[in-house]
Amino acid sequence: MAGTFSRNGWIVWLTFAIGLLLSVSPLPQFMEILRPLWLALLLAFWALYLPHKIGMVTAFLLGLAEDVLYGTLLGQNALILTLITFLVLSLQQRLRMFPMWQQSLVILVIFGLAQLVQLWLSALTGNRQPTLALVLPALVSALLWPWVSFGLRGLRRRYKIN
Amino acid sequence: MGVRLLVLVVLSVALMVVDARFTLLKPVRSQMSLVLMQSYWITDLPQRLWQGVASQFGSRTELVAENEKLQTENLLLQGRLQKLAALTEQNVRLRELLNSSALVNEKVEVAELIGMDPNPFTHRIIINKGERDGVVLGQPVLDARGLMGQVVELMPYTSRVLLLTDTTHSIPVQVNRNGLRAIASGTGNPERLELRHVADTADIKEGDLLVSSGLGQRFPAGYPVATVKEVIHDSGQPFAIVRAVPTAALNRSRYLLLVFSDGRTPEERANEAAQAQEADRQGGDGAPAVPATVPKPATAPAKPGAPAAPAAAPATPARPAAHAVKPAAAKPPASKPPAATRATPRTEE
Repeated sequence: MAGTFSRNGWIVWLTFAIGLLLSVSPLPQFMEILRPLWLALLLAFWALYLPHKIGMVTAFLLGLAEDVLYGTLLGQNALILTLITFLVLSLQQRLRMFPMWQQSLVILVIFGLAQLVQLWLSALTGNRQPTLALVLPALVSALLWPWVSFGLRGLRRRYKIN
Repeated sequence: MGVRLLVLVVLSVALMVVDARFTLLKPVRSQMSLVLMQSYWITDLPQRLWQGVASQFGSRTELVAENEKLQTENLLLQGRLQKLAALTEQNVRLRELLNSSALVNEKVEVAELIGMDPNPFTHRIIINKGERDGVVLGQPVLDARGLMGQVVELMPYTSRVLLLTDTTHSIPVQVNRNGLRAIASGTGNPERLELRHVADTADIKEGDLLVSSGLGQRFPAGYPVATVKEVIHDSGQPFAIVRAVPTAALNRSRYLLLVFSDGRTPEERANEAAQAQEADRQGGDGAPAVPATVPKPATAPAKPGAPAAPAAAPATPARPAAHAVKPAAAKPPASKPPAATRATPRTEE
């Protein structure tokens, strides 16, 4: 839940702002298809480590922001991010115990599912994505997960965010 | 947790349905975009800074060379323009004689690209002009070489442009050489358009220039769209396969032109073209004030006979037939006064 943080909560929001920037930053044509799901990665991390602060409502709001940025139907990415956060939250107890590679695997599955829902939604709205290449970002995100996780954990420790 | 998920899912589905079916959420969207669209601007900042630095430290010889090149280009364009004013005027007169609807003259405004759509499967770009700059939905966008696309989403200071090559986009075109009409659809490849349903025997060949035909009432007529790259006649297929390459640099252009169609009558346009040419020839600077005042008294006496044709012409490109029949009777007496009026300001000067 997006409640008040006891300390240094602004850093969490700063990471989300950076995530929004990264999700629209220009990339070379061939890498466009591999763009990681930055917001989903950040949400997954914060939901995992601050489950009492970052939850589905935050995900929903961030998803709305992403919808406006991408020009998709209002609510489309909100739905996706809410689903991702829900899955992470429900697996949270176990996921925190897992070694890094196993976490990555779970992230891959969750993000892959979310991307399939995304594919289905955009087919419904008429912007038909031609291929299953849409699942590629999930793979890239899963590969990035260890680094994002290490980085954010360091940040969290340094600023004692809780 | 499950309840919260259910509520949020229902909420987002409801939002999606409302957003797809109604215009209720448009203001919310535009308010949110006011803040969020800044992120495109921010991510574009490094590029902008780099350009700024590069132009600061450009060497003198480079600048001189560029200046020379631009001057030559300018001279060439000026030369072409001189002819164009005369040709425009002539064209308007000839069309008047033929009783056909007038060519609509357009005004353009420069916009700058600030972002690409992050989704690789759609071809959309973000430009730095929006509703507050007078951009309207469906407005055509050009670059220096040809048509690029149309505005599909308006935000206060930015707007989203759908490019010609998006899979959901089609544009009515005609072959410049012989006027053959066709529809060019996007393929999702930035270097390719496809002409749909072109008869196998149609006179279209490699290298033909396709220009917009203006039939869809969305794009102005006569702008280059693409050049035909290959025509494949497959006897097993009902239609020929025609592939074309867009003339505009869809994935390279940074500066774009927004086309505003012009509300002036052909009479005023012809007058103004003549005035502009006159002013150019004299090198006078007082020209801008003249065209605004001269046509008014000139057209006023011509009103009784003339009004139907010029007033109706720009508004009804869709039904030239009906339009051609009506003023035909009133035309012969009417067609003289405008010619005379056009002559008068010139003699005065």
